[in-house]
Amino acid sequence: MTAVPLLELRGVGKRFGSLQVLDDVSLTLQAGEVHCLLGENGAGKSTLCNLVFGVHAPDAGDMLLSGQAYRPGRPADALAQGIAMVHQHFSLVPDVSVVDNLLLGQSRGLLRRSECAARMRELSERYGMPLEPYALIKDLSVGERQRVEIVKCLMREPRLLVLDEPTAVLLPEEIQALMEVCEKVAAQGCGVVLVTHKLAEIRRVARRATVLRGGRIAARSDAPAQEMDALVRAMIQRDLADPSETVPAGPARVAPAIGQEVPAPALMVDGLTVRDAQGTTRLDNFTVLLAPGEIVGIAGVEGNGQVELAGVLSGLMPSTQGRFFVSGVELTGERPKAITAAGAGIVPEDRHASGCVTAMSVAENILINRLGDYRRWGLLDRAALRRDAQDLMHKYDVRAAGPDVAFGGLSGGNQQKAVLARELTTPGLRFLLAAQPTRGLDVGAVEAVYGHIVGACQNGVGVLLISSELDELLKVANRIVVLYRGRIMGQCEASPSQRERIGAWMAGHTE
Amino acid sequence: MNQTALAARMHDQRPVLISLAAVVGALVIGLVLVAAIGVSIPDAVAGFAEGAWGSPYALAASINRSLVFALVGLGFVLADRANLTNVGGEGQIAVGAIAATAVCLHGGVAGLPAGMSFVLPMLAACVVGGIWGGIVGVLKVKVGTNEVISSLMLSFIGVWLLYGSVQSEALLRQPMTSSSTLPESLEIPDPTKLPLLTGDAGMPLHIGLPIALVLAVLVAVVLHRTVFGLRLRAVGLNALAARKAGIAIAPSVIGVFFAAGALGGLAGSMMLQGEQYSLKAGFSSGYGFDGLVVGLLARGSVVGVLAGAVLFGFIRSGGINMEMVANVPSCLVLVIQGIIIVALAGSARWMTRKAGAR
Repeated sequence: MTAVPLLELRGVGKRFGSLQVLDDVSLTLQAGEVHCLLGENGAGKSTLCNLVFGVHAPDAGDMLLSGQAYRPGRPADALAQGIAMVHQHFSLVPDVSVVDNLLLGQSRGLLRRSECAARMRELSERYGMPLEPYALIKDLSVGERQRVEIVKCLMREPRLLVLDEPTAVLLPEEIQALMEVCEKVAAQGCGVVLVTHKLAEIRRVARRATVLRGGRIAARSDAPAQEMDALVRAMIQRDLADPSETVPAGPARVAPAIGQEVPAPALMVDGLTVRDAQGTTRLDNFTVLLAPGEIVGIAGVEGNGQVELAGVLSGLMPSTQGRFFVSGVELTGERPKAITAAGAGIVPEDRHASGCVTAMSVAENILINRLGDYRRWGLLDRAALRRDAQDLMHKYDVRAAGPDVAFGGLSGGNQQKAVLARELTTPGLRFLLAAQPTRGLDVGAVEAVYGHIVGACQNGVGVLLISSELDELLKVANRIVVLYRGRIMGQCEASPSQRERIGAWMAGHTE
Repeated sequence: MNQTALAARMHDQRPVLISLAAVVGALVIGLVLVAAIGVSIPDAVAGFAEGAWGSPYALAASINRSLVFALVGLGFVLADRANLTNVGGEGQIAVGAIAATAVCLHGGVAGLPAGMSFVLPMLAACVVGGIWGGIVGVLKVKVGTNEVISSLMLSFIGVWLLYGSVQSEALLRQPMTSSSTLPESLEIPDPTKLPLLTGDAGMPLHIGLPIALVLAVLVAVVLHRTVFGLRLRAVGLNALAARKAGIAIAPSVIGVFFAAGALGGLAGSMMLQGEQYSLKAGFSSGYGFDGLVVGLLARGSVVGVLAGAVLFGFIRSGGINMEMVANVPSCLVLVIQGIIIVALAGSARWMTRKAGAR
């Protein structure tokens, strides 16, 4: 069958400054098929999607939609042509409800909330994505927010749906459901572009696959399920090693013998419970004991109490019940200042919300906890501040033009290294909380972050590592605690052989 | 990204030139308007120049006006650093002036030596103005009241308190000797008046000028060279991150509003002790709001506050004279002032967008 392709790219190129992000990329997508776009971070997948969605314009090549020249000048053009996209970073207004977000930009005159809510319920039920229409976006987990984004797209009944890394934040079960959504959408004659760097997901749904590497097409396949190995090789230019062999020599595991004098635990959390303003229990009787030099991973799909746990431990959120101690000092309900003073370093999940001030300089951000030490005759000793920051930047490999450049101008990886530099040099550090510390970082930066965390733990610091990436936890942690709906579902050694058990706990199943 | 780009341009010369061009452009439009209502332009310009700097007296009066705008503008910039908007200058001037009047007339300070006779009323004005501003900070921290609303409402309260205080002899009204005694206070005793720098009443430039300049330097140092200033900046840019970094938000907010209020109160005492010498209804005809505009246009720069204060001070003085001499309606001066504000704000917006587009 030689139908006119729904979408065709011919020799498309895009350059940002001196960086050629896409180079001579051609691909075709038929209506009714799921086309997977594979590639590592920085391979150009998101840029390609943004070209199709009209966020950027290509520098070279042509795009055709149903055989017609297609040159979207802005996303509104793409939407008008029936192209919908779920971005990696969500575009939802946090302070209003789900329904109001859905109504944004697609209604005229009066808002018909109940109609929209009914429509949304119908869609979310049909595709198995439970959502409460009148919940505020800011109260939803990242996973739930993504569902809203997907429903928002589906309400437009698009002919082409672009999903930019939709699976990164979902549970295995939810990924399954999403794949079903993709299949159903495709079955209705819509084209689906699915961007991912996770291979297992595409096995089932992908009719065709294209692999990008360094902005160029590295491989294509019309039968990706059968050619998985070749695709993987094309993606990373090497074979994936057996996962059981990639587990690094773990950090020193401190297990004090019975009878030996036990040092104060780095962190002791006793029955911590958090209820939100609506009275919903977000964290339920959470208890954990963290020895010095131990890394405990908190696994779980996002929105299962991790944000609340980190919020309470960093002193930014009140707890309802329970207590916690860092190195034997009770810190329940204390201010962040007291928590830092007790030797706790906090690497927050949302760097931009509470981890840094982007408009201030790198030096000011790295030393913001200790500005009081840089007073000389009542004035701020900028020279000393700059010098010490420069040292830390060197030690933690924070790459920036200098200590005075704005923090916001750094890449995500360098920002995170700078935050780590600040938190790991907290005076008298006993405990480190790292929440989703590698999110959005490229491979090199991820390794650096792991290195610093493991290094801290070898110095006797206890680390609580909250992550939604199970692989990350299996690689770095000694022990894994699984959170599900705010409760501890189970805990075990961090060993790849436990993967399935942990996966089941994450999904709320007990054995 | 926007803020970053802007910060990088802070030391750029172009914003200064563009602001200057905006002012000149607005003045040209003003002259066109003057011509349009049938007044000869040379007459109007001559009247303006005479009122603004034509005589030693006019020059001093313009500068004294500028001082008031500068102090209120400094208070605005200080609060603005913490991303707080202080629109309470008018009320802070009023309560400062009430406090200064009360101390001058009834505080028994007139006989004090070594300058205490005029310094103590000024300090009283600072404290009372500071408390007036501090209320805004406390409301913000404890109840979450928007500081724009509360400082504006407190302005009206302050202005009416001033009005009320000169209505009754039990308060600050001068003794009623006849039915035509005006509702205003007695003139303050000579020792409580601010000493003149020249010693010549023909050029009433008073000691407030060096005081305001020292305070401007102090505010600049606090904002740019102290740990407190840097923390304030962190609070303003990202309160959550500042809190996480152990910075106490509540004292910063209350403190900065106290300081802004104290500057406003001081401005009120300078108006009383350096210029008007008695308290009456209509004591401050919108000086607090003009000072707020000066602070707003300065966009965080102390030098900008001084420049804006001088500009507004001279325009006000020149405008009043232009009305008297050349029959240009005073509302036209307000129109020109408004055009300057729009032009400056517009050019700032334009620069921001250009910076953002890069």
